[in-house]
Amino acid sequence: MRRFLRPALITLLAFLPLGAGIAAENQPWEEVFFRANQAYKEGRFQKAIDGYSQLIQSGRETGHLFYNLGNAYFRLNQLGRTIANYERARLLIPRDPDLNFNLRYARDRTRDAIPASRGLISTTFFWLDSLNLDELFWGFAILNLLFWAILVARLFLRAEWTYYLSLVVLILWLMAGTSFGVKWYQLGTDDRAVILEHEVNVLAGPDIQDTVLFKLHEGTIVRQERSEDGWSLVRLPDKKRGWVKKGAVEQIHSTESGDHFSDVM
Amino acid sequence: MNRLREKIGCFVRGPVRPCILFLLVFLLPCVARADVSVTIKLDRREATLVDSIRMVVSVSGTRSTESQPILHGLQSFHVTGGGTSSRVEIINGKVNAGVDYTYFIQPKKTGKFQIGPADVTVGGKAFRSNTVSMTVTEAAQASGVDRGPLFLSANLSSEQAYVEEQPIYTVKLFRQMKVSDISLDLPETEHLVFKQLGKPLEYQSVFNGKTYQVLEIRYAVVPSKEGGYTIGPTRMTMTVYQPERRSSRGLFDDPFFRDPFFSLSSGRPMTLASESHALTVLPLPQAGRPADFSGLVGTFKIESKLEPATVKAGESATLTVLLSGRGNVNRIPDMKGPELSHTKVYADNPVLKVEPDAQGLAGSKTMKWALVPEKQGRYEIPPLSVSFFDTTTHQYRVAQTRPMSLSVLPGEPETVQASSQRAHEGPSAGPAKQAVKELGRDILPVHTSVKALAGGDRVRPGQVFFWLVLMAPLFVYGAAFWGLRFRRKTDQTVAAMKSRKAAGKLIKKCRQRRISAGELSLCIRDYLNERFGLALGSLTPEEGAEILRSKGVSLDTAQDFRAVLERLEGAVYTGKGGESGDIHEDVPKLIRQIAKEIR
Repeated sequence: MRRFLRPALITLLAFLPLGAGIAAENQPWEEVFFRANQAYKEGRFQKAIDGYSQLIQSGRETGHLFYNLGNAYFRLNQLGRTIANYERARLLIPRDPDLNFNLRYARDRTRDAIPASRGLISTTFFWLDSLNLDELFWGFAILNLLFWAILVARLFLRAEWTYYLSLVVLILWLMAGTSFGVKWYQLGTDDRAVILEHEVNVLAGPDIQDTVLFKLHEGTIVRQERSEDGWSLVRLPDKKRGWVKKGAVEQIHSTESGDHFSDVM
Repeated sequence: MNRLREKIGCFVRGPVRPCILFLLVFLLPCVARADVSVTIKLDRREATLVDSIRMVVSVSGTRSTESQPILHGLQSFHVTGGGTSSRVEIINGKVNAGVDYTYFIQPKKTGKFQIGPADVTVGGKAFRSNTVSMTVTEAAQASGVDRGPLFLSANLSSEQAYVEEQPIYTVKLFRQMKVSDISLDLPETEHLVFKQLGKPLEYQSVFNGKTYQVLEIRYAVVPSKEGGYTIGPTRMTMTVYQPERRSSRGLFDDPFFRDPFFSLSSGRPMTLASESHALTVLPLPQAGRPADFSGLVGTFKIESKLEPATVKAGESATLTVLLSGRGNVNRIPDMKGPELSHTKVYADNPVLKVEPDAQGLAGSKTMKWALVPEKQGRYEIPPLSVSFFDTTTHQYRVAQTRPMSLSVLPGEPETVQASSQRAHEGPSAGPAKQAVKELGRDILPVHTSVKALAGGDRVRPGQVFFWLVLMAPLFVYGAAFWGLRFRRKTDQTVAAMKSRKAAGKLIKKCRQRRISAGELSLCIRDYLNERFGLALGSLTPEEGAEILRSKGVSLDTAQDFRAVLERLEGAVYTGKGGESGDIHEDVPKLIRQIAKEIR
């Protein structure tokens, strides 16, 4: 018994300072969060934005923090950033009723009437809007485990019911796997961006001298195709395209973590 | 029935006939007892002591009864049987069968009698008929004047009547001879209308001690204006046949030829006239005349019913009023439906039914209303009334329905909502519903729970954990699969080693040149035991070949193996057991071949 107890104690002592360090490190973040909440409550919204942004930049990219950040921007009457953060929150907590209520309200306040467009994939996989990537992953992981477990069981038990069960689980496994893959693809190719300025001229080329094609207003969601020399090429669902200054739009989702906070900070 | 069958037989031939017979034989008895009913019918309801009345007991729904009907209420009558007749009617494809028992009854005394009921037993079950009333009066006083074999008489039931009252005018033709082509001319008097009551009757009666055949026709006389009227004589024109007197009985002196068609008597036209009558028509009294007098004269009664008495709001109940009686039923007014608050009233078309009989015009009018209450509650339906002049009491009367109430339960949600929209109409209605009005808009507050900080560590494709979670079950499956396969392979390896060992032992034995046939035979047996895990005590050539075939060795090799064993066996049994000859050289080749084939 002593043979095993001694290494266990050594291991525990070795990790204890690390655990305590983690706990000590967590404490400031909670304080940051509470301070930001307090600032929001007291009407110091910029202070709240700083706090929430600090937490997000430190890696705590939770849906609730993006939601709070969106609220704080809303109080500062920055509709574009409000919608951008609500949309980010929606990727993480898509079924949160507070978020959906606020996002709907924020969208109602935008000026441009942009027709809603849903692609074939979004229409077919309609349930993806209500689930985030983590939920889809864990659903797929559980079905994956179940599927292989049944196959293992069939190595030893060749009963007919295990065959039918494996077929059913296989179908679910394929659905879950496809859903996860599609969601992953959607996030990876999510090029949506939000207009941040009150009114933006959309030009025919990446030059201030180019022809103004149309105007967009704060909060409008566009597709950002690419960026060049401080200009972004944006596209609307009705195929209108044009160039805007890069600082006038903010991409909702970026594959590189923290990219979308450069403008915020 | 027989006549019907004969008739059918005349017209129907070929394959249809069996079908008809089938229907008659099998179907009719089935339908016959479907609905058995017994009815007593009299040819008239009023008669004198000298009249003979025809009474028919009709049993419908059967072709025969188990016994004659037992008649009640005929103690005051002389009864004579008039025969039995069966009948079959096919109306609109429906077959009705029945038996009619005919009787002739003659009153013994005057008065009003209830005739019936008649009891009939059909199929062991007793059935009872209706009863009918009969009024018997004294016979007309003999005037002492012999009116001959043919005369016409007219009678008025009352010499005094009110306007719209209907005294009965009866015309009777008394005859003791054959007549035909009868036509009748009624007297024409202004403000008097004659309405025939039913079909003419024919019966026997006695007048002045003589028996006559009587033809009776009844009319209701409807005066439309007061005043004194004289109803002139009614005239009847006919052809009369008087039989010629013969001195002796001849060829045609048979009842058959006494029919007017064959009669040798000559017909002559004749017109008869009845006596005149005076009728005084009184105006309806002004005293006690209701303001809403309907003009009905006679005797009337009113009945009402409400179905159902309990409904849900929005559903309908039916109020039915039946006004029936005797008199000028054609003037029964269309009554006005009840007026109820919060209730829609829809009137149905009234149905008038006029049924003239020997006593005059009778009938009824059925009026219906659909009541659709809109609200829950209890609704009192006020009585509906109609006034009329009662000719029996000579007074105005009011026929009135009984008060009724309709209970209304809460209706469907739509109905409730509809009523609530009219909340101002009654204090019981609830407040009116209205859409929630948005007074302001704002966002919902921030999330302040520490949980908002949780969930930041997410699984992302490309992470080790991601692939570990997804691939781990696959690895487990792979391990299980290969483990099983390895185990199977190990078993096979052990078997191969055993095989090689057994083969080696046998080949080693074969190399010993001085091995006997018996020893070699035992070695081969041991080889098989060891190679295939058997426990053979002895081995015949057939068994050896059989074992090899069952283990997958080819037929040729198995036959070679058998031949070797036979040779060894032959050597042992022929006394050459001490030498195996060249067999020991063949065996190793054979064993190698076997090892090769079942590797």
